[in-house]
Amino acid sequence: MTRFRFVTLVILLAAAPLQGQTQPTTTVGGYGEFIFAKPSGGTASADVARVVVYLAHTFDERLAFRSELEVEHARLEAGGSAGEVAFEQAFLDYRLSDRFTLRSGLVLVPVGIINETHEPATFNGVVRPAADHDLIPATWREIGVGALGNFGGGWSWRAYLVNGLKAEGFSAAQGIREGRQEGQGASFAGVGVTGRLEWARPGLKLGLSGFHGGSADTNTAVGSGVFGAPVTILAADARWESGPWTARALLVNVAVPDAGKINAAFGGTVAERSRGGYVEGAFDLLHLLNPGSPSRLDLFTRIERVNTQATMPTGTAADRSLDRTIVTSGVTFRPLSTVAFKADYQLLRTDSGVGEGEMFDLGLGFSF
Amino acid sequence: MRPTFLLLLSTVAPLRAQTVAPAKVAASVTRVFGIGARVDTLATSRGPVLRAVRGDTLLGYAAVREVRGKDQPITFLVAVDRSGRTLDVDILVYRESYGGEVAYESWRRQFRGRTAADSIRLGRPIRNISGATISSNAVTLGVRVALEDLATLQRDGALP
Repeated sequence: MTRFRFVTLVILLAAAPLQGQTQPTTTVGGYGEFIFAKPSGGTASADVARVVVYLAHTFDERLAFRSELEVEHARLEAGGSAGEVAFEQAFLDYRLSDRFTLRSGLVLVPVGIINETHEPATFNGVVRPAADHDLIPATWREIGVGALGNFGGGWSWRAYLVNGLKAEGFSAAQGIREGRQEGQGASFAGVGVTGRLEWARPGLKLGLSGFHGGSADTNTAVGSGVFGAPVTILAADARWESGPWTARALLVNVAVPDAGKINAAFGGTVAERSRGGYVEGAFDLLHLLNPGSPSRLDLFTRIERVNTQATMPTGTAADRSLDRTIVTSGVTFRPLSTVAFKADYQLLRTDSGVGEGEMFDLGLGFSF
Repeated sequence: MRPTFLLLLSTVAPLRAQTVAPAKVAASVTRVFGIGARVDTLATSRGPVLRAVRGDTLLGYAAVREVRGKDQPITFLVAVDRSGRTLDVDILVYRESYGGEVAYESWRRQFRGRTAADSIRLGRPIRNISGATISSNAVTLGVRVALEDLATLQRDGALP
């Protein structure tokens, strides 16, 4: 009898604080990003870059649905330009254990830093780095199945099988960006495999990630097979923080060995190889001025190189104005870790001197 | 007596599958206090507190708490020794899609030896893990509150 009572008590007390969490729950969140930009010698403009509604449902402790529905540029109008409504992600997680989860749906390709972690208060600078636009086409999501997990010692991984790209959309300036299918009637004539290996400890996170996938789709002149006209991306990234200091770095290489065939078919000047990356350092002034505060006031500088014409197919000249160096310096004020007021100044220089410019940006970002 | 217990069991049983499994709490307590530690539960004004003893020796106390991460509760256990010094923090159930690094040993280790009187804030001196900031913030706050509660109860003589 005593033993019975003891067991009952343990069960009761372990369960009691959790009541109310056991039912399925639907949660809503979101994030937003507003940008004001003034190019040197140009007209100032302001834009609701994106407002995203995060909708999640937790069925039980194993099954969960997560989604982000995004409206870019504030509105859509029939026949109008700009504007986009899209699911940035929408997937189902099936947690088999603390160490292993199956994931399927519209998933974020786990390459680089920004593609998966893109809430505006998580990065410095009003506009996302150019490497996360023209090399890694953030926010890059495709339909797929895969798994993720961790195996102790600070190591974690994710691996997905997703639909392939469409070479038709590739361009000289933005690389593979417009070759994404983004979950809209995605063709599985080609497939992609993508993954990420990560090691983390307090203050440091290192990642190695990659993507290898076909881009020929159904165009046999470009390639055949599920990996026809392959695109191979390799990226390494690091995030470090200590006291008032933070730093991050990214290196990306994008290989499109059949760029010559792609250009012959679609008339572009896509490179066989694009590469770039950045290093960024920041210092939190409030760490010194007001040590008890949860707020941060980061002064930062990011130095970035992006070249979407690094190696050209034989007979095609590189557009040297697409070999870009971008220096961004500015300030990010975070009253909370999820809200950011940003200001920065960007210098854009190119290898040919064409297309250079400066930009002053103001930004507001938040997530909840 | 027996019908009461059966009734208690039957109201509790449906919760077990989806909440933190008692076996998980038991495993965590054993890991922290060692094999052979016996645990009973004290009802206090700050919620249930687990008391760990071996023979006649008091080993310490533990609290199972929950704190909200991005949008899901994170269930964790904080264990202290008799003097209120943190023995360990354990993540019992993590439900979010990103940020699970708070369960890493290298992150949890930062709390060991700290008391309610110490500064326990993210960045000062608990270091963040990039990409897990929301969870790091939440668990750090949760641990601080739990330690304060345990210290208050101990000071008030509510933990025999």
